[in-house]
Amino acid sequence: MTPSIIEITPLQLMLCFGFVLLAGITSMVNRLGLERDLLVGTIRTFAQLFLVGYVLKFVFEINVSWLVLLMFVVMVAAAVHIIRGRVKERSVSFLLPTFISMLVTYTLISALVTGVIVGAKPWWTPQYFIPLAGMIVGNSMTAISISLDRLFSDLKARRSEVEMMLALGADYREASQDVLRGAIKAAMIPSINSLMAVGLVSLPGMMTGQILSGVDPLVAIRYQVVVMLMLVASTSMGAFLVTGLVRRRCFSPAQRLVIR
Amino acid sequence: MSLSLDQVSFAYPDGPVVLEKASITFEAGSFTIVQGLSGAGKSTLLRLLCRLEEAQSGRILFNGQPIETMAPADLRRSVAYVQQMPTLLSSSVRENLLLPFSFKANVGLNRPSDEVLTSHLESFLLSGVTLESEATRLSVGQAQRICLVRSLLLDPEIVLLDEPTASLDAESAGVVLEKAAELGRGGMTVIMISHSQTMPEGVTHVVTIKDRSLERA
Repeated sequence: MTPSIIEITPLQLMLCFGFVLLAGITSMVNRLGLERDLLVGTIRTFAQLFLVGYVLKFVFEINVSWLVLLMFVVMVAAAVHIIRGRVKERSVSFLLPTFISMLVTYTLISALVTGVIVGAKPWWTPQYFIPLAGMIVGNSMTAISISLDRLFSDLKARRSEVEMMLALGADYREASQDVLRGAIKAAMIPSINSLMAVGLVSLPGMMTGQILSGVDPLVAIRYQVVVMLMLVASTSMGAFLVTGLVRRRCFSPAQRLVIR
Repeated sequence: MSLSLDQVSFAYPDGPVVLEKASITFEAGSFTIVQGLSGAGKSTLLRLLCRLEEAQSGRILFNGQPIETMAPADLRRSVAYVQQMPTLLSSSVRENLLLPFSFKANVGLNRPSDEVLTSHLESFLLSGVTLESEATRLSVGQAQRICLVRSLLLDPEIVLLDEPTASLDAESAGVVLEKAAELGRGGMTVIMISHSQTMPEGVTHVVTIKDRSLERA
Protein backbone atom coordinates (compact mmCIF):
# COMPACT_ATOMS: atom_id res chain seq x y z
CA MET A 1 0.00 0.00 0.00
CA THR A 2 1.49 3.37 -0.97
CA PRO A 3 1.09 6.21 1.48
CA SER A 4 -1.71 8.40 0.16
CA ILE A 5 -2.76 11.11 2.50
CA ILE A 6 -5.38 13.75 1.78
CA GLU A 7 -3.92 17.04 2.93
CA ILE A 8 -6.11 19.38 4.96
CA THR A 9 -6.05 22.82 3.37
CA PRO A 10 -6.13 26.04 5.47
CA LEU A 11 -9.72 26.60 4.28
CA GLN A 12 -10.76 23.14 5.46
CA LEU A 13 -9.04 23.82 8.77
CA MET A 14 -11.07 27.02 9.14
CA LEU A 15 -14.26 24.99 8.70
CA CYS A 16 -13.39 23.27 11.99
CA PHE A 17 -14.23 26.49 13.79
CA GLY A 18 -17.80 25.38 13.18
CA PHE A 19 -17.24 22.67 15.79
CA VAL A 20 -16.13 25.23 18.35
CA LEU A 21 -19.15 27.34 17.44
CA LEU A 22 -21.43 24.36 18.21
CA ALA A 23 -19.81 23.96 21.63
CA GLY A 24 -20.09 27.72 22.19
CA ILE A 25 -23.81 27.69 21.38
CA THR A 26 -24.30 24.82 23.84
CA SER A 27 -22.52 26.85 26.49
CA MET A 28 -24.58 30.00 25.76
CA VAL A 29 -27.95 28.26 25.64
CA ASN A 30 -27.30 26.54 28.97
CA ARG A 31 -25.49 29.57 30.46
CA LEU A 32 -22.43 27.51 31.30
CA GLY A 33 -20.08 30.49 31.00
CA LEU A 34 -17.52 28.40 29.13
CA GLU A 35 -17.29 30.64 26.02
CA ARG A 36 -14.09 32.34 27.16
CA ASP A 37 -12.39 29.03 28.01
CA LEU A 38 -13.46 27.64 24.65
CA LEU A 39 -11.97 30.61 22.84
CA VAL A 40 -8.71 30.50 24.78
CA GLY A 41 -8.54 26.73 24.42
CA THR A 42 -9.05 26.90 20.67
CA ILE A 43 -6.39 29.57 20.24
CA ARG A 44 -3.97 27.59 22.44
CA THR A 45 -4.61 24.40 20.47
CA PHE A 46 -3.76 26.19 17.25
CA ALA A 47 -0.76 28.03 18.66
CA GLN A 48 0.76 25.11 20.57
CA LEU A 49 0.33 22.56 17.80
CA PHE A 50 1.62 24.88 15.10
CA LEU A 51 4.59 25.73 17.28
CA VAL A 52 5.32 22.05 17.93
CA GLY A 53 4.83 21.33 14.22
CA TYR A 54 7.47 23.87 13.26
CA VAL A 55 9.82 22.76 16.03
CA LEU A 56 9.49 19.13 14.88
CA LYS A 57 10.06 20.12 11.25
CA PHE A 58 13.16 22.05 12.30
CA VAL A 59 14.49 19.18 14.46
CA PHE A 60 13.82 16.63 11.72
CA GLU A 61 15.64 18.74 9.15
CA ILE A 62 18.67 19.59 11.28
CA ASN A 63 18.82 15.96 12.49
CA VAL A 64 21.49 16.29 15.18
CA SER A 65 21.54 14.15 18.30
CA TRP A 66 21.90 16.89 20.92
CA LEU A 67 18.87 18.77 19.62
CA VAL A 68 16.72 15.62 19.72
CA LEU A 69 17.87 14.86 23.24
CA LEU A 70 17.34 18.47 24.31
CA MET A 71 13.79 18.23 23.09
CA PHE A 72 13.38 15.03 25.10
CA VAL A 73 14.70 16.74 28.25
CA VAL A 74 12.24 19.60 27.71
CA MET A 75 9.39 17.08 27.38
CA VAL A 76 10.37 15.40 30.66
CA ALA A 77 10.69 18.77 32.40
CA ALA A 78 7.23 19.77 31.16
CA ALA A 79 5.83 16.46 32.44
CA VAL A 80 7.39 17.04 35.86
CA HIS A 81 5.84 20.50 35.91
CA ILE A 82 2.41 19.01 35.19
CA ILE A 83 2.92 16.34 37.86
CA ARG A 84 3.72 19.11 40.33
CA GLY A 85 0.37 20.70 39.55
CA ARG A 86 -1.53 17.45 40.04
CA VAL A 87 0.13 16.24 43.23
CA LYS A 88 -0.91 18.55 46.04
CA GLU A 89 1.68 17.55 48.65
CA ARG A 90 4.16 20.34 49.39
CA SER A 91 5.91 19.26 52.61
CA VAL A 92 8.08 16.74 50.75
CA SER A 93 10.06 17.92 47.73
CA PHE A 94 9.63 15.38 44.97
CA LEU A 95 10.53 17.34 41.83
CA LEU A 96 14.23 16.51 41.52
CA PRO A 97 13.92 12.75 42.20
CA THR A 98 10.95 12.63 39.82
CA PHE A 99 12.85 14.46 37.08
CA ILE A 100 15.98 12.33 37.45
CA SER A 101 14.22 8.98 37.53
CA MET A 102 11.94 9.88 34.61
CA LEU A 103 14.92 11.05 32.58
CA VAL A 104 16.97 7.92 33.26
CA THR A 105 14.16 5.36 32.83
CA TYR A 106 12.60 6.92 29.76
CA THR A 107 15.89 7.54 27.96
CA LEU A 108 16.70 3.87 28.42
CA ILE A 109 13.31 2.56 27.35
CA SER A 110 12.96 4.98 24.40
CA ALA A 111 16.45 4.15 23.17
CA LEU A 112 15.74 0.45 23.53
CA VAL A 113 12.52 0.75 21.51
CA THR A 114 13.94 2.91 18.70
CA GLY A 115 17.42 1.37 18.55
CA VAL A 116 16.76 -2.30 19.20
CA ILE A 117 13.11 -3.09 18.54
CA VAL A 118 12.26 -0.67 15.70
CA GLY A 119 15.89 -0.73 14.60
CA ALA A 120 16.17 2.92 13.64
CA LYS A 121 19.71 4.01 12.75
CA PRO A 122 20.90 5.99 14.60
CA TRP A 123 18.71 5.24 17.63
CA TRP A 124 17.90 8.92 18.13
CA THR A 125 16.47 9.38 14.62
CA PRO A 126 13.95 12.14 15.46
CA GLN A 127 11.11 10.74 13.34
CA TYR A 128 11.02 7.65 15.61
CA PHE A 129 12.57 8.79 18.85
CA ILE A 130 10.47 11.89 19.49
CA PRO A 131 6.96 10.49 18.96
CA LEU A 132 7.74 7.25 20.81
CA ALA A 133 9.48 9.00 23.70
CA GLY A 134 6.62 11.49 23.76
CA MET A 135 4.10 8.69 24.24
CA ILE A 136 6.23 7.19 27.00
CA VAL A 137 6.56 10.49 28.84
CA GLY A 138 2.91 11.41 28.39
CA ASN A 139 1.53 8.10 29.65
CA SER A 140 3.99 7.75 32.47
CA MET A 141 3.26 11.27 33.63
CA THR A 142 -0.25 10.15 34.54
CA ALA A 143 1.03 6.95 36.13
CA ILE A 144 3.61 8.79 38.20
CA SER A 145 1.17 11.40 39.47
CA ILE A 146 -1.21 8.59 40.50
CA SER A 147 1.55 6.75 42.36
CA LEU A 148 2.91 9.84 44.12
CA ASP A 149 -0.57 10.91 45.13
CA ARG A 150 -1.24 7.45 46.48
CA LEU A 151 2.11 7.29 48.29
CA PHE A 152 1.53 10.58 50.10
CA SER A 153 -2.13 10.02 50.93
CA ASP A 154 -1.52 6.46 52.20
CA LEU A 155 1.43 7.49 54.35
CA LYS A 156 -0.86 10.03 55.98
CA ALA A 157 -3.92 7.81 56.25
CA ARG A 158 -1.90 4.87 57.56
CA ARG A 159 0.31 6.96 59.80
CA SER A 160 -0.48 4.99 62.97
CA GLU A 161 0.39 1.70 61.27
CA VAL A 162 3.66 3.06 59.87
CA GLU A 163 4.64 4.57 63.23
CA MET A 164 3.65 1.40 65.07
CA MET A 165 6.24 -0.48 63.00
CA LEU A 166 8.88 2.24 63.42
CA ALA A 167 8.32 2.13 67.18
CA LEU A 168 8.89 -1.64 67.08
CA GLY A 169 12.26 -1.22 65.37
CA ALA A 170 11.36 -1.22 61.67
CA ASP A 171 13.34 1.02 59.33
CA TYR A 172 11.47 3.26 56.92
CA ARG A 173 11.56 0.65 54.16
CA GLU A 174 10.00 -2.02 56.33
CA ALA A 175 7.44 0.36 57.83
CA SER A 176 6.23 1.61 54.44
CA GLN A 177 6.62 -1.53 52.34
CA ASP A 178 2.89 -2.06 52.02
CA VAL A 179 2.19 1.59 51.23
CA LEU A 180 4.86 1.58 48.53
CA ARG A 181 3.45 -1.58 46.99
CA GLY A 182 0.00 0.00 46.79
CA ALA A 183 1.43 3.12 45.14
CA ILE A 184 3.29 1.19 42.44
CA LYS A 185 0.31 -1.06 41.81
CA ALA A 186 -2.01 1.92 41.39
CA ALA A 187 0.34 3.27 38.72
CA MET A 188 0.54 -0.01 36.82
CA ILE A 189 -3.14 -0.92 36.72
CA PRO A 190 -4.27 1.58 34.02
CA SER A 191 -1.65 0.39 31.54
CA ILE A 192 -2.50 -3.25 32.25
CA ASN A 193 -6.20 -2.47 31.80
CA SER A 194 -5.46 -0.88 28.46
CA LEU A 195 -3.71 -4.10 27.39
CA MET A 196 -7.06 -5.80 27.90
CA ALA A 197 -9.20 -3.19 26.18
CA VAL A 198 -7.06 -2.18 23.23
CA GLY A 199 -8.63 -2.77 19.85
CA LEU A 200 -11.97 -3.75 21.38
CA VAL A 201 -13.00 -0.53 23.06
CA SER A 202 -10.93 1.95 21.12
CA LEU A 203 -8.39 2.21 18.36
CA PRO A 204 -5.29 3.80 19.83
CA GLY A 205 -4.29 7.25 18.57
CA MET A 206 -1.00 6.24 17.07
CA MET A 207 -2.45 3.36 15.11
CA THR A 208 -5.31 5.56 13.90
CA GLY A 209 -2.77 8.15 12.82
CA GLN A 210 -0.73 5.66 10.88
CA ILE A 211 -3.80 4.20 9.18
CA LEU A 212 -5.00 7.69 8.25
CA SER A 213 -1.63 8.42 6.66
CA GLY A 214 -1.99 5.35 4.50
CA VAL A 215 0.03 2.75 6.38
CA ASP A 216 -1.13 -0.86 6.06
CA PRO A 217 -3.17 -1.67 9.21
CA LEU A 218 -1.08 -4.81 9.67
CA VAL A 219 2.06 -2.68 9.87
CA ALA A 220 0.32 -0.18 12.13
CA ILE A 221 -0.72 -2.83 14.66
CA ARG A 222 2.86 -4.00 15.05
CA TYR A 223 3.85 -0.51 16.06
CA GLN A 224 0.89 -0.38 18.39
CA VAL A 225 1.87 -3.63 20.08
CA VAL A 226 5.37 -2.23 20.64
CA VAL A 227 3.87 0.94 22.09
CA MET A 228 1.46 -0.87 24.41
CA LEU A 229 4.19 -3.10 25.81
CA MET A 230 6.73 -0.32 26.19
CA LEU A 231 4.13 1.69 28.11
CA VAL A 232 3.63 -1.16 30.55
CA ALA A 233 7.37 -1.20 31.15
CA SER A 234 7.81 2.55 31.38
CA THR A 235 4.88 3.19 33.71
CA SER A 236 5.96 0.46 36.09
CA MET A 237 9.67 1.24 36.02
CA GLY A 238 8.99 4.97 36.35
CA ALA A 239 6.59 4.54 39.27
CA PHE A 240 8.92 2.06 40.96
CA LEU A 241 11.91 4.40 40.82
CA VAL A 242 10.06 7.62 41.61
CA THR A 243 8.12 6.27 44.59
CA GLY A 244 11.25 4.53 45.91
CA LEU A 245 13.27 7.76 45.83
CA VAL A 246 10.46 10.00 47.07
CA ARG A 247 9.48 7.64 49.91
CA ARG A 248 12.93 8.13 51.37
CA ARG A 249 12.24 11.84 51.63
CA CYS A 250 9.08 11.22 53.64
CA PHE A 251 11.25 9.94 56.51
CA SER A 252 14.09 11.54 58.44
CA PRO A 253 17.43 9.73 58.93
CA ALA A 254 16.16 8.95 62.47
CA GLN A 255 13.46 6.74 60.87
CA ARG A 256 10.74 9.24 61.66
CA LEU A 257 7.76 9.92 59.39
CA VAL A 258 8.07 13.62 58.52
CA ILE A 259 5.11 14.01 56.17
CA ARG A 260 2.04 15.41 58.01
CA MET B 1 17.20 2.94 82.99
CA SER B 2 16.42 6.64 83.15
CA LEU B 3 15.18 9.13 80.57
CA SER B 4 15.71 12.88 80.88
CA LEU B 5 14.73 15.99 79.04
CA ASP B 6 17.24 18.81 79.25
CA GLN B 7 15.93 22.22 78.14
CA VAL B 8 13.84 20.67 75.37
CA SER B 9 11.80 22.89 73.07
CA PHE B 10 9.40 21.54 70.49
CA ALA B 11 6.85 23.00 68.10
CA TYR B 12 4.99 21.36 65.24
CA PRO B 13 5.71 22.88 61.82
CA ASP B 14 3.31 25.80 61.37
CA GLY B 15 1.81 24.83 64.73
CA PRO B 16 1.91 26.05 68.30
CA VAL B 17 4.91 25.68 70.61
CA VAL B 18 4.30 22.53 72.69
CA LEU B 19 7.31 22.51 75.00
CA GLU B 20 9.66 25.37 75.83
CA LYS B 21 12.92 24.61 77.59
CA ALA B 22 11.30 21.75 79.46
CA SER B 23 13.49 19.66 81.76
CA ILE B 24 12.69 16.55 83.78
CA THR B 25 14.16 13.19 84.69
CA PHE B 26 12.23 9.94 84.75
CA GLU B 27 14.32 7.87 87.15
CA ALA B 28 15.09 4.20 86.63
CA GLY B 29 12.34 2.04 88.01
CA SER B 30 9.91 4.93 88.52
CA PHE B 31 6.24 4.80 87.54
CA THR B 32 5.17 8.21 86.32
CA ILE B 33 1.71 9.40 85.36
CA VAL B 34 1.63 12.30 82.89
CA GLN B 35 -1.37 14.59 83.12
CA GLY B 36 -2.47 17.75 81.36
CA LEU B 37 -5.31 19.25 79.37
CA SER B 38 -5.96 17.75 75.96
CA GLY B 39 -3.65 19.34 73.43
CA ALA B 40 -1.14 20.24 76.17
CA GLY B 41 1.47 17.95 74.61
CA LYS B 42 1.30 14.69 76.58
CA SER B 43 1.48 12.46 73.50
CA THR B 44 4.13 14.71 71.98
CA LEU B 45 6.26 14.19 75.09
CA LEU B 46 6.14 10.40 74.67
CA ARG B 47 6.79 10.66 70.93
CA LEU B 48 9.86 12.82 71.62
CA LEU B 49 11.18 10.19 74.03
CA CYS B 50 11.20 7.51 71.32
CA ARG B 51 12.17 9.92 68.53
CA LEU B 52 8.96 9.77 66.56
CA GLU B 53 9.26 13.55 66.93
CA GLU B 54 12.49 15.52 66.93
CA ALA B 55 13.09 18.36 69.41
CA GLN B 56 14.14 21.68 67.91
CA SER B 57 16.53 22.38 70.77
CA GLY B 58 17.71 20.81 74.00
CA ARG B 59 18.75 17.22 74.64
CA ILE B 60 16.97 14.00 75.50
CA LEU B 61 19.13 11.52 77.38
CA PHE B 62 18.73 7.77 77.72
CA ASN B 63 20.75 6.75 80.77
CA GLY B 64 22.82 9.88 80.27
CA GLN B 65 23.42 9.25 76.57
CA PRO B 66 21.92 11.67 74.02
CA ILE B 67 19.30 9.64 72.11
CA GLU B 68 20.41 10.98 68.73
CA THR B 69 23.72 9.17 69.20
CA MET B 70 21.85 5.83 69.37
CA ALA B 71 20.62 3.87 66.34
CA PRO B 72 16.84 4.53 66.20
CA ALA B 73 16.05 0.81 66.36
CA ASP B 74 18.27 0.34 69.44
CA LEU B 75 16.57 3.22 71.21
CA ARG B 76 13.11 1.92 70.31
CA ARG B 77 13.93 -1.59 71.46
CA SER B 78 14.87 -0.18 74.88
CA VAL B 79 12.07 2.39 74.98
CA ALA B 80 8.79 0.77 73.97
CA TYR B 81 5.99 3.07 72.84
CA VAL B 82 2.40 1.83 72.93
CA GLN B 83 -0.01 4.00 70.94
CA GLN B 84 -3.31 5.25 72.28
CA MET B 85 -5.34 3.43 69.62
CA PRO B 86 -4.17 -0.16 69.23
CA THR B 87 -2.85 -0.82 65.72
CA LEU B 88 -2.75 -4.39 64.50
CA LEU B 89 -2.22 -5.74 61.00
CA SER B 90 -4.86 -7.82 59.28
CA SER B 91 -3.40 -11.23 60.03
CA SER B 92 -3.26 -13.72 62.89
CA VAL B 93 -2.48 -12.79 66.47
CA ARG B 94 0.73 -14.83 66.16
CA GLU B 95 1.92 -12.87 63.13
CA ASN B 96 1.15 -9.61 64.88
CA LEU B 97 3.05 -10.63 67.99
CA LEU B 98 6.04 -11.78 65.95
CA LEU B 99 6.00 -8.74 63.63
CA PRO B 100 8.89 -6.96 65.44
CA PHE B 101 11.06 -10.04 64.97
CA SER B 102 10.69 -9.77 61.19
CA PHE B 103 12.50 -6.42 61.14
CA LYS B 104 16.18 -6.42 60.17
CA ALA B 105 17.20 -4.57 63.33
CA ASN B 106 15.70 -7.32 65.51
CA VAL B 107 16.88 -10.46 63.71
CA GLY B 108 19.45 -11.25 66.40
CA LEU B 109 16.76 -11.46 69.07
CA ASN B 110 15.27 -14.72 70.23
CA ARG B 111 11.96 -15.40 68.56
CA PRO B 112 9.52 -16.40 71.28
CA SER B 113 7.95 -19.83 70.94
CA ASP B 114 4.21 -20.46 70.75
CA GLU B 115 4.27 -21.54 74.41
CA VAL B 116 5.78 -18.22 75.46
CA LEU B 117 3.24 -16.31 73.37
CA THR B 118 0.35 -18.29 74.81
CA SER B 119 1.51 -17.76 78.36
CA HIS B 120 1.65 -14.02 77.69
CA LEU B 121 -1.90 -14.10 76.36
CA GLU B 122 -3.01 -15.90 79.50
CA SER B 123 -1.28 -13.50 81.83
CA PHE B 124 -3.15 -10.66 80.10
CA LEU B 125 -6.41 -12.57 80.65
CA LEU B 126 -6.74 -13.20 76.92
CA SER B 127 -7.50 -16.88 77.25
CA GLY B 128 -10.37 -16.59 74.72
CA VAL B 129 -7.88 -15.42 72.10
CA THR B 130 -5.76 -17.96 70.25
CA LEU B 131 -2.59 -17.39 68.25
CA GLU B 132 -4.60 -18.21 65.12
CA SER B 133 -7.33 -15.60 65.84
CA GLU B 134 -7.69 -12.87 63.23
CA ALA B 135 -6.28 -9.78 64.95
CA THR B 136 -8.59 -7.26 63.32
CA ARG B 137 -11.66 -9.07 64.71
CA LEU B 138 -10.63 -8.52 68.33
CA SER B 139 -12.31 -5.93 70.55
CA VAL B 140 -10.42 -2.70 71.21
CA GLY B 141 -9.63 -3.88 74.72
CA GLN B 142 -8.23 -7.19 73.52
CA ALA B 143 -6.29 -5.46 70.73
CA GLN B 144 -4.71 -3.02 73.18
CA ARG B 145 -3.57 -5.90 75.37
CA ILE B 146 -2.07 -7.65 72.31
CA CYS B 147 -0.20 -4.42 71.46
CA LEU B 148 1.19 -4.27 74.98
CA VAL B 149 2.32 -7.92 74.81
CA ARG B 150 3.92 -7.26 71.41
CA SER B 151 5.98 -4.39 72.83
CA LEU B 152 6.99 -6.33 75.93
CA LEU B 153 8.26 -9.28 73.86
CA LEU B 154 11.18 -7.07 72.82
CA ASP B 155 12.18 -6.91 76.48
CA PRO B 156 12.31 -3.09 76.78
CA GLU B 157 13.72 -1.23 79.74
CA ILE B 158 11.27 1.66 79.58
CA VAL B 159 7.61 1.57 78.55
CA LEU B 160 5.72 4.61 77.27
CA LEU B 161 1.96 4.15 77.45
CA ASP B 162 -0.12 6.75 75.64
CA GLU B 163 -3.41 6.73 77.53
CA PRO B 164 -3.70 2.98 77.06
CA THR B 165 -7.07 2.69 78.78
CA ALA B 166 -8.79 5.62 77.04
CA SER B 167 -11.10 3.58 74.86
CA LEU B 168 -11.19 0.34 76.84
CA ASP B 169 -13.97 -1.38 78.74
CA ALA B 170 -13.57 -1.62 82.52
CA GLU B 171 -12.21 -5.16 82.47
CA SER B 172 -9.53 -4.49 79.85
CA ALA B 173 -8.60 -1.20 81.50
CA GLY B 174 -8.20 -3.01 84.81
CA VAL B 175 -5.89 -5.62 83.25
CA VAL B 176 -3.75 -2.98 81.53
CA LEU B 177 -3.39 -0.88 84.69
CA GLU B 178 -2.58 -3.96 86.77
CA LYS B 179 0.08 -4.94 84.19
CA ALA B 180 1.56 -1.43 84.23
CA ALA B 181 1.83 -1.61 88.01
CA GLU B 182 3.41 -5.07 87.75
CA LEU B 183 6.01 -3.77 85.28
CA GLY B 184 6.79 -0.92 87.68
CA ARG B 185 7.22 -3.36 90.59
CA GLY B 186 9.50 -5.44 88.36
CA GLY B 187 11.92 -2.52 88.04
CA MET B 188 10.83 -1.28 84.63
CA THR B 189 10.54 2.48 84.11
CA VAL B 190 6.92 3.22 83.19
CA ILE B 191 5.66 6.55 81.86
CA MET B 192 1.91 6.59 81.31
CA ILE B 193 -0.50 9.27 80.16
CA SER B 194 -3.74 9.22 82.07
CA HIS B 195 -6.85 11.36 82.27
CA SER B 196 -8.33 9.30 85.06
CA GLN B 197 -8.57 10.75 88.56
CA THR B 198 -7.97 7.39 90.19
CA MET B 199 -4.27 6.60 90.33
CA PRO B 200 -3.19 3.10 89.44
CA GLU B 201 -1.36 1.19 92.13
CA GLY B 202 2.38 1.74 92.47
CA VAL B 203 2.63 5.22 90.93
CA THR B 204 5.74 7.00 92.18
CA HIS B 205 5.46 10.35 90.40
CA VAL B 206 2.87 12.57 88.76
CA VAL B 207 3.95 15.07 86.13
CA THR B 208 1.70 17.76 84.70
CA ILE B 209 2.25 19.51 81.36
CA LYS B 210 1.15 23.11 81.68
CA ASP B 211 2.13 26.28 79.84
CA ARG B 212 4.70 24.47 77.72
CA SER B 213 6.64 23.13 80.68
CA LEU B 214 6.65 20.05 82.92
CA GLU B 215 5.78 20.26 86.59
CA ARG B 216 6.13 17.55 89.19
CA ALA B 217 3.18 17.33 91.54
